[in-house]
Amino acid sequence: MTRRPVVLSVNGTDHEVWVLPSETLLDVLHDELGLADVRYGCGEGVCGTCTLLLDDEPVNGCLILAVQAAGRRLTTLRGLMGPGDAMHPLQECFLRHGAAQCGFCTPGMVLTSLDLVRRRGRTSREEIRYALVGNLCRCTGYTKILDAVEEYAGTAAADPSPGVAST
Amino acid sequence: MTTVEPPHTATGRYRVVGTSPAYHDFVDKVKGSLHYAADWRLPGMLHGRVVRSPVPSARITGIDVGAARALPGVAAVLTAADVPSNAIVEMASGGLAELEVTMPVLAQDRVRYAGEPVAVVAAATRQIADAAAELVAVDYEELPGVFDVTSALAADSPRVHDVGNTLVTWQIRCGDVAAALAAADVVVAGEYRSQHVEHAYLEPEAGVGWLENGVLTLRVSTQVIEHAAAIARIIGLPQSKVRVIAAYMGGGFGGKEDMTVEPYLALLVWHTRRPVRMIWDRQESLVASTKRHPFLMRYRTGAASDGTITAQQVEILGDAGAYPNLSPRVLFAAAACACGPYRVPNASITSSAVFTNNVPASAFRGFGAMQVVLGYEAQLDLLAERLGLSRTEVRERNFLAKGDLLPTGERLDTCVEVAQTMHRALALLGEQEPPRPSGPGKLTGRGIGCNRHPYGRTIWFRDRASAWLSLQADGTLLIRSGVTDLGAGQAASLCQIAAEVLGAPLEDISIYIGDSALNPPAGGTFATRQLYMSGNAVLHAALELRERMAPVAAGLLGVQSDELEFAAGRVRVRARDDGVSITLAELASACGQRAISTAHLSTWRAEAGSFDPRAGQGDTFPDYTYGTHAADVEVDTETGQVTVLRYAACHDVGRAINPMRVEGQIQGGAMQGLGYALTEDMGIEDGYVQAALFANYLIPNAQDFPDVLVDIVESGEGKGPLGARGIGEPPIGNVAAAIASAIHDAIGVRPTELPMTPERVLALLDRSAAGTKGQEVQE
Amino acid sequence: MVAPAFDYVAARSYDEAVRLLAAGGDDAKILAGGQSLMPMLNLRLAHPDLLIDINQADQRPPSVADGVLRLPALTRHRTLLEHDLVRRGCPLLAGAIRHVGNVRVRNRGTIGGSLAHADPTSELGACALVTGARVVIRGPDGERTVPTDELFDTYWTTTLAPGEVITDVLIPVTRPRQGWSFQEMVRRTSDFAIVAVAALVELDERADTIAAARVALAGVADRVTLAEPDLLAGLASHRHDNGDVDAAAGAIADRLEPATDIHASGEYRRRLARVLVARALRQACARATGETA
Repeated sequence: MTRRPVVLSVNGTDHEVWVLPSETLLDVLHDELGLADVRYGCGEGVCGTCTLLLDDEPVNGCLILAVQAAGRRLTTLRGLMGPGDAMHPLQECFLRHGAAQCGFCTPGMVLTSLDLVRRRGRTSREEIRYALVGNLCRCTGYTKILDAVEEYAGTAAADPSPGVAST
Repeated sequence: MTTVEPPHTATGRYRVVGTSPAYHDFVDKVKGSLHYAADWRLPGMLHGRVVRSPVPSARITGIDVGAARALPGVAAVLTAADVPSNAIVEMASGGLAELEVTMPVLAQDRVRYAGEPVAVVAAATRQIADAAAELVAVDYEELPGVFDVTSALAADSPRVHDVGNTLVTWQIRCGDVAAALAAADVVVAGEYRSQHVEHAYLEPEAGVGWLENGVLTLRVSTQVIEHAAAIARIIGLPQSKVRVIAAYMGGGFGGKEDMTVEPYLALLVWHTRRPVRMIWDRQESLVASTKRHPFLMRYRTGAASDGTITAQQVEILGDAGAYPNLSPRVLFAAAACACGPYRVPNASITSSAVFTNNVPASAFRGFGAMQVVLGYEAQLDLLAERLGLSRTEVRERNFLAKGDLLPTGERLDTCVEVAQTMHRALALLGEQEPPRPSGPGKLTGRGIGCNRHPYGRTIWFRDRASAWLSLQADGTLLIRSGVTDLGAGQAASLCQIAAEVLGAPLEDISIYIGDSALNPPAGGTFATRQLYMSGNAVLHAALELRERMAPVAAGLLGVQSDELEFAAGRVRVRARDDGVSITLAELASACGQRAISTAHLSTWRAEAGSFDPRAGQGDTFPDYTYGTHAADVEVDTETGQVTVLRYAACHDVGRAINPMRVEGQIQGGAMQGLGYALTEDMGIEDGYVQAALFANYLIPNAQDFPDVLVDIVESGEGKGPLGARGIGEPPIGNVAAAIASAIHDAIGVRPTELPMTPERVLALLDRSAAGTKGQEVQE
Repeated sequence: MVAPAFDYVAARSYDEAVRLLAAGGDDAKILAGGQSLMPMLNLRLAHPDLLIDINQADQRPPSVADGVLRLPALTRHRTLLEHDLVRRGCPLLAGAIRHVGNVRVRNRGTIGGSLAHADPTSELGACALVTGARVVIRGPDGERTVPTDELFDTYWTTTLAPGEVITDVLIPVTRPRQGWSFQEMVRRTSDFAIVAVAALVELDERADTIAAARVALAGVADRVTLAEPDLLAGLASHRHDNGDVDAAAGAIADRLEPATDIHASGEYRRRLARVLVARALRQACARATGETA
């Protein structure tokens, strides 16, 4: 099986990689491009540790082929950071609330929450729970994660415009 | 043990301890820049994979690795013959009639559980490694197996090991149980069963190994770097030639306490002389990694008519699976805590670990002391019911107090605030009663679960932990500790303690952990021991270092040493606000000029003791954490579904070094307990795990349960640093008991089997409707 | 574990996909949302030689014409949740899809893919059956339209011929005196259903007696199942609040022989079916009268 070249646009940077058609986006991002913030957790799409944004929509990195991601805009957790390693306001909420313990679920939690707030503005705690149902956490019991997202949702502009990259 | 002078400020409160800053590894975690064990890539790195037995009990009559080895891209296919010392030997625990059983690294002629490693492969890509693993041809001649403890104890049971099926037995005996039961006004009996559950850390087992300067180095997700010694023995290397580095873990919970990938990585690295990475599949981990011991518990509790417990007879059988691992210690902890936080003058506890051909069970948050809570709390509620007492009343009548004797003959030497935790947990639920049902066909109920959970290792292990501190020339502080970090702030807490004592700002403290070559040994992170052990080690190292440097600072400031205050990066004079002070950098420099070292290594030793397994009396654990959880539930009587409406938890943590993290531990532990109580089950049948997909192993998600409301008691009388008690394990123990208690309150029948699925609850409702009540025996 | 090697091609139209399927033979598979197929590949449970990606083959949005809601096969689950035409045209579907998967799965999963996967616990499958939906199928011999009760064969197997692909799902638009209900028992939120029930009730012109009732169940057999109409016949012509819903539910449950698995026994599933069918019929009636939304 021969590899084929694919250009993956990740966090604003284009990368040309040579991939097998059968390689998942998760494996190429993690193993080829060395991105440690998309992680293998189950390979079934149920745990959320491989969450990334595909054109601003949260998807399972383990259930998409790398070749399918050509020409799409990919965002991982580190893509939310600002110049000088500045954290996104949602990340600051996570840090302040103690919403990360082992940290393994954190990228998925942040990206999924960000997508929710971008689309819905100020959301209720119940809506946040529903949105995060597919992001499993074994350490925190979810409460501090919900607290962090609730705080962020309360302070973010209540402008539910989809696909806004700068919130 | 030295008494510790807590470093207060003039007002008697702490500056850094007791606050909740977020720093160190938590910053990297939120930024996504932390490198876990699977995140390292080395040049020429190979990918490793374990080949496992698909059957639970069989003789291996042949292994053919030819086709696998011949596959292009395969660097090694190893079997038992390739393992220099093919044995993982557990230290004898000292229990009664303990069998000596070794576990092979790779099975040679027998497999004893489905998932047992038989071969290991390394290849250039993961795809080739997968294909090679599939090409390893093993001939299995299936043998009869045994899959539950009751069958395993039968005389004609298949033997998991030739030497017998009962691995070890513990007993605890005090007073005269037979007489006390005979004389009791009331006796309640119950049989309780728990299930196989899985740690389900989000980070699967993983690691990278390589050779460097002839040193076999493994960087793995592990709770215990001391396994370096076992790896050296397996490979046949001197201990000085093996190094284990513990990456920050994406969760451990005891599932990374025994070796996981380590021996297989070591074999492949040693054989190929190349770097190798191994990540277990989630499904592989579900099937083959160690689990919690299912317990079968039989209780007979005798009491006077006023509710005072007079006798407790307990039999515990734990399903150890196919190999020992830490089973003897788990069943010991179960025995030591089988009576809970209650006074029991006459006790007879027998606790055995029994082999089966199920997947091996070993350490899992709670470690035996957790499973028994279901039993002893059920007995208390049944007593209350029989005697017409309230549940809180019967407990208050029996709660232990400081100075009381445990059934082991030990005298409790710290305060017991369990009653306070009970009242506070109930207060968090608010209202005197559970809420009214939400509709027809629904019933609501309220329940409580109290526990006594040990922290620290069993006393007879003579536990110790070391830590090294160094005040650098620029006033920053380095800490080196062999501690490993599960994600609960094990490392960060040590920084907070050092900051409190030496006044170095948190952002100026760096901590280096978990490296068997470079760090002073701290022992593994388990048994809720790290805050107790390493916390004390860092506390004492910091105090001793400060004591050594203080005269120098005192001299510079023209005062006595005891007038000094170390805070905010400076040393100043207490109760003088003229601003005269020196920086820590200046102090370090002054020490350097006087040839006084600003680095210090301290080893903290836990109290020692001994236990007589035959008499069933002696020292067990250094101390306990007491707590209570309370829950309101609603039961749908048509479907059996249980909805948790409100949930509250309160523990006496002694001193909260970082209150936010303490709260996080309680919330996380309670949530893990809710899964154990209601939804999680490996579903092992005839040795086969039915829940082999993560989609089928039901850990709680963000919508299943309400927020866990938390209250903390700080009695200040723990044996950890500054009076802290451990909090990692205790909060998982109360949950199943609290939920069972609430369901019991709602439907009038006590659940006795876990998990409390809708189907099981419906069956209880059927029995209740038919007029028969659970498994209580009237005597 | 990683997927065994396969080749990949993106089809730009359904016709191209059909041609590629014919050329690829038994070892070619269609890749739509991937949320069911990719896990099987990741676990090495399937070994196709070729994946034919149809995600670019169809950009049409949902549409309504002549009382029929047309959902292109590639309509994402998320669209079912949010699109106005779906919420108004088939509120049952919009209500049921909340229970399917999670945010990530709903962003990629498709209705065509779900129906073709034929999971016996499929919420969408139950909704398709109860609404009398039809699927449009394209194959080497052209196009055919099939009612969904002829689509599901057994566990994860449809009656689609090897070279065929679903292109559209046609659902009768909800009528004014119709009420719907979706009831499900899951062990944990958003799991695969233990038992799920979709019910539709239609009241007659006088809007107070039941003209028709349909019930479909998931998780009770080797495929999603439509309850036999004769079992619901007893409800007809009764007042919407007077029908013997429990008898109908009991009759439907009694006919079932669900299997036992790790999550529930067959007996419990049967019992659950009885409870959920009764609840679904009651709620559907209440919605039909406008009593509840």
